[in-house]
Amino acid sequence: MQHSPPPAARKPPDRLGTVVVALILLALAVLGANIWLNMRGAGVTPGFGFLAQTAGFDLSENLIPYAAKDSYARAILAGLLNTVLLALAGLVLATVVGVLMGLVSVSPSPAGRVVALLYVELFRNLPKILVLLVLYVLAVRGLPPVREALSLGPFHLSNRSIYMPMFEPDPSQIWLLLPLVAGALAAFWWGRRARRIKWETGRELPVMPVAVALLLGLPMAFALLADVPLVPTIPAFERFDFAGGARLSVQFLVVLLTLGLYHGAQIAEVVRGGILAVPTGQVEAARALGLTPRHVTRFVVLPQVLRIVIPPMINQYVNLIKNTSVAIVVGYSDLMSVSGTIINQTFRPLEMMLITMALYLGLSLLASSVMNRLNEALRARSARSAP
Amino acid sequence: MIPAAPPPEQRRDLLRQWAGTPVTALVSALSAALAVWVASAVLDWALVSAVSPLRPMEACAEAAGACWRFYVEKSRFMLFGTYPYAEHWRPALVSVLLLALSGMVGLRITGRLGGVGPRVLLALWVLVIPLVFALMGGGWSGLAPVDMSRWNGMPVLLILSVIAIALAFPLGVALAVLRYQGRWPVLRRVAVVYIEAMRGVPMVTVLFVGVFVLPLTLPPGTRISPVMATLIALIFFHASYFAEDVRGGLQSLPASQTEAAASLGLSWGQTMRLVLLPQALSRSLPALVNSVIGAYKDTSLVVVLGIHDLTSTARMAFSEPGWGQYALEAYAFVGMWFLLSCAFLSWVGRDLHRQQSARSR
Repeated sequence: MQHSPPPAARKPPDRLGTVVVALILLALAVLGANIWLNMRGAGVTPGFGFLAQTAGFDLSENLIPYAAKDSYARAILAGLLNTVLLALAGLVLATVVGVLMGLVSVSPSPAGRVVALLYVELFRNLPKILVLLVLYVLAVRGLPPVREALSLGPFHLSNRSIYMPMFEPDPSQIWLLLPLVAGALAAFWWGRRARRIKWETGRELPVMPVAVALLLGLPMAFALLADVPLVPTIPAFERFDFAGGARLSVQFLVVLLTLGLYHGAQIAEVVRGGILAVPTGQVEAARALGLTPRHVTRFVVLPQVLRIVIPPMINQYVNLIKNTSVAIVVGYSDLMSVSGTIINQTFRPLEMMLITMALYLGLSLLASSVMNRLNEALRARSARSAP
Repeated sequence: MIPAAPPPEQRRDLLRQWAGTPVTALVSALSAALAVWVASAVLDWALVSAVSPLRPMEACAEAAGACWRFYVEKSRFMLFGTYPYAEHWRPALVSVLLLALSGMVGLRITGRLGGVGPRVLLALWVLVIPLVFALMGGGWSGLAPVDMSRWNGMPVLLILSVIAIALAFPLGVALAVLRYQGRWPVLRRVAVVYIEAMRGVPMVTVLFVGVFVLPLTLPPGTRISPVMATLIALIFFHASYFAEDVRGGLQSLPASQTEAAASLGLSWGQTMRLVLLPQALSRSLPALVNSVIGAYKDTSLVVVLGIHDLTSTARMAFSEPGWGQYALEAYAFVGMWFLLSCAFLSWVGRDLHRQQSARSR
């Protein structure tokens, strides 16, 4: 006799949960009412209308044209872009430092291992704020004034800024994004094609050079053909300061260095753990099969290390993005310090913190979802090619 | 037959270790150069060009290195800031109490200090936390009242780290249980949203909410000191990180644990309290210790809000006119403290790790 499967148990409705949520909402309503009363008492009506008002303060630096007469909304946008720039530069620096130190920490050289160990231990046991403050003191004291700036070709470094050559900004340069995206897509397509051809015929096609040529060449060609002005300007010393070119403040450099060193230490630990997790038998077996050391690294060790390392790396990257907010300590105009200034000026902490937290939450969710998707794709691909 | 003598021990080939391949040689050379450069700079600053603490402050004027006399003059200020000088024994006692209690917890979870049960520790916490505030604030049995704005330095660092962590922990466990269970799906969703939102924003923003928005949510006319507001914000922030660590422990438990508890007739509450949580907590201890180290170090971020913890009083110590050149000495003081205290925490973490891998083997 056959038993029919029992019917799925009906879940009782979550009465307790509903009650608790109702209580939470009630508490929030009480708090909201208090906020309303307090703000009215201070002569302010809650709302986001103030964003259109004139900001009236300057930023230490900005990627988009911004002046004190612009609106608060534009100041926030400028701050957000500064945060993004800092985060992107920090990700690159921390990755380079971290991978390098991770590799050195497993190298046969005793000197290298000791240096890597001391570096990791030092930066894992010090608060990032302290690292930042010390580096700031060292930079302001140790770097020369603008008049005696350290120069390396067209690059100059003083205790205020680093100066470098850049293209003269022009509104029409925004169109260069078009060929850049096209170049990226073409490079991606070429990479897939090269892999397929190698899979089918074993013939190796150059990938990296073609990708670089596409990414640089397409925008260049577009600029020439469509007559987008790309006039290089080189910083030159005038009476009191450098003029021309682009500059990054020493505050930016110090925060960048802090993020790079601090997260570099964490990434070094991740990389070290990943490498040590690959059994030595794998390397020995690959050598026994006659693979060259380079091929052992490329085809045996690296894929396994990446698999282990990427999830904690994503974690580190998201932390780094959030930690850019320490920039407020030295006064680099990132999102957090712009929003702190606006709070002091307008007495609108509620609105400003809602905006700021939403933007940071958006940034970290965006970053983690993009990187997680890349990771999934990578896993799916390596699962397919290694049945 | 005479057994063959064992081969002599392999000679450690120094050259091969230091320069087996060109890359290794390069790594060795660069590392050695870096080490020599940093070590000589630090030694020169701290010893060779430094001025000994026995010589008067005036001797520091033209010295290129550290001025250790600065510590004689300023260490009490760096430790306790603007707290009334005659009452310094109170913040000192508070610091010792909090450090001793944290040390006891650290030793207890690594299995030392067997005589002190968890109940005793819990009772001590319940006793010490109000005592800390009473001692610092004063205003009873002859102790002069001291306003919270004058609470500075080490005790503030410890209140904002140790007490925040201690109070965030139970909240974190509760959030972890709520996120893990399936009995009340609405509550579970609330926990998920809370944890993910808190973990998605920087700590500075949460501190700003504590100091600027929290006072607004109080009925008009009531006030809350920035230290209290920060403490509350930190509790809510750290709890979300602890929750994820504990949830990791809960998820690592096999389903058979719940099933066995159910077949013994244990209720949901009993299963959680007697079967799942004790195992989950001991499994999540290494991750928790890591989070504690992070939370402890990040406490110094309160500098941003004008709250004077150790880092901030160190900054104050050289902000007076004429003292500006001693910034590095002041920061070295803070750095030493963090290296020392984090070394203890790291040791606890490593010890737990060792015990766990020994158990799983």
